[in-house]
Amino acid sequence: MRRFLKDNALSLFFLLLFVLALTGQSVAGNSAYNDRQRAEGGAAVSWPEYVTSSEFAVDVAENWQSEYLQFLLFIMATVWWVQRGSPESKKPGDEGPESDEKQQVGRYAGPDSPAWARTAGLRQKLYGNSLGAVMGLVFLLSWLAQSVAGRAAHNSQQLARLQDPLGWGEYVVSADFWNRTLQNWQSEFLAVLSMVVLSVYLRQRGSPESKPVGAPHGATDVEG
Amino acid sequence: MTTRTTLAAAAALTALATGSAGCSSTGETAARQAAERFYAAVAGGQGERACALLTPEAAESLRTGDGTCGQAVLALGLPGGEVTGAQVWGDEAQVRLARDTVFLHRFAQGWLVRGAGCRPRGDLPYDCEVEG
Repeated sequence: MRRFLKDNALSLFFLLLFVLALTGQSVAGNSAYNDRQRAEGGAAVSWPEYVTSSEFAVDVAENWQSEYLQFLLFIMATVWWVQRGSPESKKPGDEGPESDEKQQVGRYAGPDSPAWARTAGLRQKLYGNSLGAVMGLVFLLSWLAQSVAGRAAHNSQQLARLQDPLGWGEYVVSADFWNRTLQNWQSEFLAVLSMVVLSVYLRQRGSPESKPVGAPHGATDVEG
Repeated sequence: MTTRTTLAAAAALTALATGSAGCSSTGETAARQAAERFYAAVAGGQGERACALLTPEAAESLRTGDGTCGQAVLALGLPGGEVTGAQVWGDEAQVRLARDTVFLHRFAQGWLVRGAGCRPRGDLPYDCEVEG
């Protein structure tokens, strides 16, 4: 058990933070929602009602989709583009999917390589793109969830303002949908940009996300 | 989280969003019936009964000087007609009738009319004879 905790401390730490933050969001969101309901003459809703409502679902989904898009783009862009001096980047000249030998696939796979890395053809191709594919799929599912729940929340507000509700096709080209989407995207893109550029010049001793403290600014693909 | 857990969570969120977002047919039926009761009262000349089916704000908006809500709501000559459709989103509903559009809000005691005699104005809010 102790060994398990030590070996998985990073995942467990973020899982705990995720659960605490999501719980906190549900409690604070429920309180804010009920404040608005009371101000508009409506009835307060219970926590179980709130966490199964479209209002909560859209707030969660719009953040999820942007996070998964961020990682999808980071994973895919770093295959093809480099940033000289950044530990997040490959060395200039290494752009592209790289050789089978370097990627340890097919006949270059080792005895401990994953089974599908030892194969050739479709299975190797699928496994070789599985991280990006799963990130992309979760992004699309979350974005779909945002559109469905966002439409429901928006339509409730539309009716409260004596306006017609929107169909799904109308909602996904509406200002509300794109405002929710882009306000999340811009912050994610800024965060990646900051990480790529700041890690050229700044250091965090002991972190694999940083270069070693004494590494020169121009050193690329060096993790501390 | 593992890949499977992440995908399951995303799928669950999509299912939750879809489930929480749909119009409930129970809600639509109740909203439709509330609109029909309101128009039946108006058509039957039962002004006070019609006013009891309005939100407190909508009923208050019809009271002027010594005129009662019941007299005012009958004087409007609301057209009504057959119900042609209903949509419920959260605690709000819109019921379309052959010659009118009605907006309702769900309270603890049920659906009450908050807008009636409503005419569309493009992207702007409907212009309603009764509003509150």
